Amino acid sequence: MTEIVSYALQIILIVIAFAVVVHKRNFTIIILIATFGLVAASLYIMNKAPDVAIAEVAIGSAIIPLIYVISISRQREFIVLDRAQDGFIEYGHELSGEGYEILAEFVKLYDLSLNICVDIQGKEKSLINELNVDLIIARDLQTGAYILYGKSSSVLLSKLTTMVKDKPNIRVVKIKEDKRND
Amino acid sequence: MSPILTIIVILVGLYGLATSKNIIKSVFCVTIIESGLILLFLNLGNLEGGSIPILSGLVENIVDPIPQALMITTIVIGSTITALALMLCIKIFHHFGSIEWKEVLGREE
Amino acid sequence: MIRRVSLVVMLVIIFGFFVFSILDLEAFFSTFGKDYFFENGLSETGSVNLVTGIYLDYRLFDSLFEAGLLIAAVSGVTWISQHEITEKNATFMLDRQSTPTLFVTFSRLVYPFMLMFGIYVILFGHVSPGGGFQGGAIVATAILILYYIDVQKATSIDKILTIEKILFLTIIGVGSISFFTKGTFFTNPFDLSASEQVKAIYLITLNALIGIKVALGLVAIFTAFLKEGR
Repeated sequence: MTEIVSYALQIILIVIAFAVVVHKRNFTIIILIATFGLVAASLYIMNKAPDVAIAEVAIGSAIIPLIYVISISRQREFIVLDRAQDGFIEYGHELSGEGYEILAEFVKLYDLSLNICVDIQGKEKSLINELNVDLIIARDLQTGAYILYGKSSSVLLSKLTTMVKDKPNIRVVKIKEDKRND
Repeated sequence: MSPILTIIVILVGLYGLATSKNIIKSVFCVTIIESGLILLFLNLGNLEGGSIPILSGLVENIVDPIPQALMITTIVIGSTITALALMLCIKIFHHFGSIEWKEVLGREE
Repeated sequence: MIRRVSLVVMLVIIFGFFVFSILDLEAFFSTFGKDYFFENGLSETGSVNLVTGIYLDYRLFDSLFEAGLLIAAVSGVTWISQHEITEKNATFMLDRQSTPTLFVTFSRLVYPFMLMFGIYVILFGHVSPGGGFQGGAIVATAILILYYIDVQKATSIDKILTIEKILFLTIIGVGSISFFTKGTFFTNPFDLSASEQVKAIYLITLNALIGIKVALGLVAIFTAFLKEGR
């Protein structure tokens, strides 16, 4: 009886592993990988190793899914820091304004989620380098044009550049990152 | 013939590692390979059968305790290695704005 | 398409080699080590759980190396995720939305029992399934639940790392006590003829130290992720 159960669990394990490999959506894969950990832990018990099973359940059920969820949700976020604050993005009951419409269209096109924050001080270059801000909006006082700062290495910024090419009052500035020798 | 079913798990993980387009998907596949490896070791220790290696009560024959002692450390180390890889993924996304292997490797200067 | 087919062919060849090599496993399979541990394990290490006896006595060097690798990985994670701009400006990374009330209430109920179970698993690792590594992981999960209750409780990672380094040196020190009593490194410092209760002092001490170290390492890892993530 125990033999049959252990063979069945091993076949379930192979099926789950194959599902993880061929599945496309990352959030579904997290659920699959948690199931994979539980089935593997019961197989460890079948192989007379309760110590290993305790370790697998404790780590594989809480900590591993948590760090996967955080890192996957981070790769869907586009963080914008607004320092102009004069109608480019309107902070009413709902966000609106000229800049917001451009950004909303952009994040909808590439399946991201927009995260706008306003209350951070510091120079543009150090902010881009040190914090994980993707885009900084500022205003040139002489010409009245809006300047968008971003990293020169980012694929997303070059896509944004081609998108706002025909708007006369928006300029995109690419900041090169410092090369660290480490 | 339990070890043969176990090696299939490792091979499925290798297949995924070779064909995945997303960086996070590759980290998932590394996790799968690691679980399969642990299972293979425990299976080899359990080949002749026996009871749990805890000497309380009447015990006549035990399974090999050496693979189990090695695999406990493997699980803890594997989780930290996964965390390191995922933190690198977050940094790659913020540098390149993408998490696909093709775009990241193409942007390399 | 050709690439994928050649990949599958390669994997099938690896599978064939494995099956071929496992056919004559009896030729080099021996039960010598197993029998040795079964006969002498309890009297030499004083541990009823043979797995704990192996990683705290016969193969303590492995555990020390594992602890060192853990501290290296944790330092790597914190070094990659560090910001030179002060934390005060970076509060927008933390969670703005509140956690559901039902979840918080149940977390408050579960949290003390989970912490108690983790400490039990650590302290009774030599007589029942468990030990420092497993119990440390359970304690780390309990502290993770504490973070869900109130995210402001997140402490600074630098302090955790300092405590962890000190603990690592302490583990090496406790392991080397046997050099002064027996003349060899990394084994039980008490005499072979001592009773099980006396030998258990060494096992419980080392288990507790390893448990605290693993718990702190995992807490440092997911604190770094939470600060990065929300």
